[in-house]
Amino acid sequence: MTSRGTPSRFLQSVLQNGVGRYVCQLKRISLIFSKNGQSSLGAREFIEEGVVDFAQKNPGTVVYVSPQSCRIPKIVAEYLNGNVKEEAITSKTSQQIAELITKLTNQSGLDIIRIRKPIHTDSPSIQGQWHPFTNRPLSIGPIGPQKQQTN
Amino acid sequence: MVAVRKVFIVTHHQKTVMASGYIVNRGVLTFGIHYRHVCRNVLLTQTREKKRWMKAYTLLMERKLKIEGPPPPKPRAQKPNWDYHAEVLAFSRRLKESFSPELLKTAFVNPCYIQSEQERRQALGVDSETAALVLGDNIQLHTQGLEFTKSFVSAWCRARFPSLPSMGVVAIVAHLTSHPVVCHVARNLAIEDLTMCAKFPVPDEVLHSTFLAVIGALQESSGAERAGLFLRDFLVTQLVGKDLFEMWPVVNPMGLLVEDLSKRNMALPEPRLTRSAGAGTVLPLYFVGLYSDKKLLAEAPGETVLAAEEEAARVALRKLYGYTENRRPCDFSAAEQARAPGLQSLSSS
Repeated sequence: MTSRGTPSRFLQSVLQNGVGRYVCQLKRISLIFSKNGQSSLGAREFIEEGVVDFAQKNPGTVVYVSPQSCRIPKIVAEYLNGNVKEEAITSKTSQQIAELITKLTNQSGLDIIRIRKPIHTDSPSIQGQWHPFTNRPLSIGPIGPQKQQTN
Repeated sequence: MVAVRKVFIVTHHQKTVMASGYIVNRGVLTFGIHYRHVCRNVLLTQTREKKRWMKAYTLLMERKLKIEGPPPPKPRAQKPNWDYHAEVLAFSRRLKESFSPELLKTAFVNPCYIQSEQERRQALGVDSETAALVLGDNIQLHTQGLEFTKSFVSAWCRARFPSLPSMGVVAIVAHLTSHPVVCHVARNLAIEDLTMCAKFPVPDEVLHSTFLAVIGALQESSGAERAGLFLRDFLVTQLVGKDLFEMWPVVNPMGLLVEDLSKRNMALPEPRLTRSAGAGTVLPLYFVGLYSDKKLLAEAPGETVLAAEEEAARVALRKLYGYTENRRPCDFSAAEQARAPGLQSLSSS
């Protein structure tokens, strides 16, 4: 909608991730699929071929695979900051599901909303923030335009 | 009229339906009633059309939710898809640390949990011999971790800010080991999920002691160096973006400045009004500069001259202690090299 009508946040990281060591923010991923449904075909293929490799490559993420009778197969991703993201993988191919899971692994758990600025800094000014008194001679009294020095 | 007819047709057809499985009765087309045999004598009916009771039911449940409020939060262990052992192993792999699993599991067990478990077993009438609760406490790990954390963080602060006085170091250490900061770190590292506690949501003190117990467990499993790196990467990074006097409440900055300057054998600070604007208005602005031996120490603005002088004293203190906003950022990247000076100071202290 509009920038004022929709939520927004500043660029940030969870717990200064990356300043010290990098921690993968995805803690748990659950694959909910059906054993017999048509829409879970991609999910079943992915579980046959790709899920074990994924779990081995990301040892910090716990992978749960739960076959249930459900109409829509889902991936539920839980992040370290507590956010839970559900994605439906109805009628997706195994390749698409693998890409989706890679995308979820690389996200931090912060909300996907408009980021107000693409930058963040804790030391915005090195030489001192400019204010109207910078580079002016000291004076107490009314402020006026500086007298131009001749030559 | 129509309703009466409906009932009539259903009772009329029941006998015929029981005899032969699924019969396409006239009711399907007009009223959408479907019959399905579960077994010979049990018949299930369902209406697949729009359900007239659904709206009233939904509104009632919403009203109930508004009155009673949302349901209480449940711990993650009581929700589906939870394997404690896998979660503990993933916890240690995610942080790229090698914990010993038994020590880590002991670190997560709090005394309140052991107490509540024993009470539960007594209430259920389970014999204490047949089902003994073999769980160790995390109190010892907690005291170990607390001691190590305090010593490491103060050593790091002294190494990084050598001109910061001991009161400042104590204040920074107290801030970093305080409940809000430690619980924030613990919650974003998923320690709250793994904590075994009697109550949910986990109270701050319990979470604080669990985090320190985890530090103690890491120290015992991998040694002081790895534990120090862990603390540096997760606890000390919480200093990023924080101002010195947010963590260290100083009531009289001018007195402190006078003390510090006399310790360094510099002249006492003299405040002078450097700039002013809007003196007679609702929003006056005064810049006060502090001069020591006619050399400018710091200059700061304020709404009144006294406020500006106090602020200038704070700016001067920040400059003296090397905790300004434009200082060189702390180096958290180097794993072993940056640790070396800290290690030396740790062994010396």
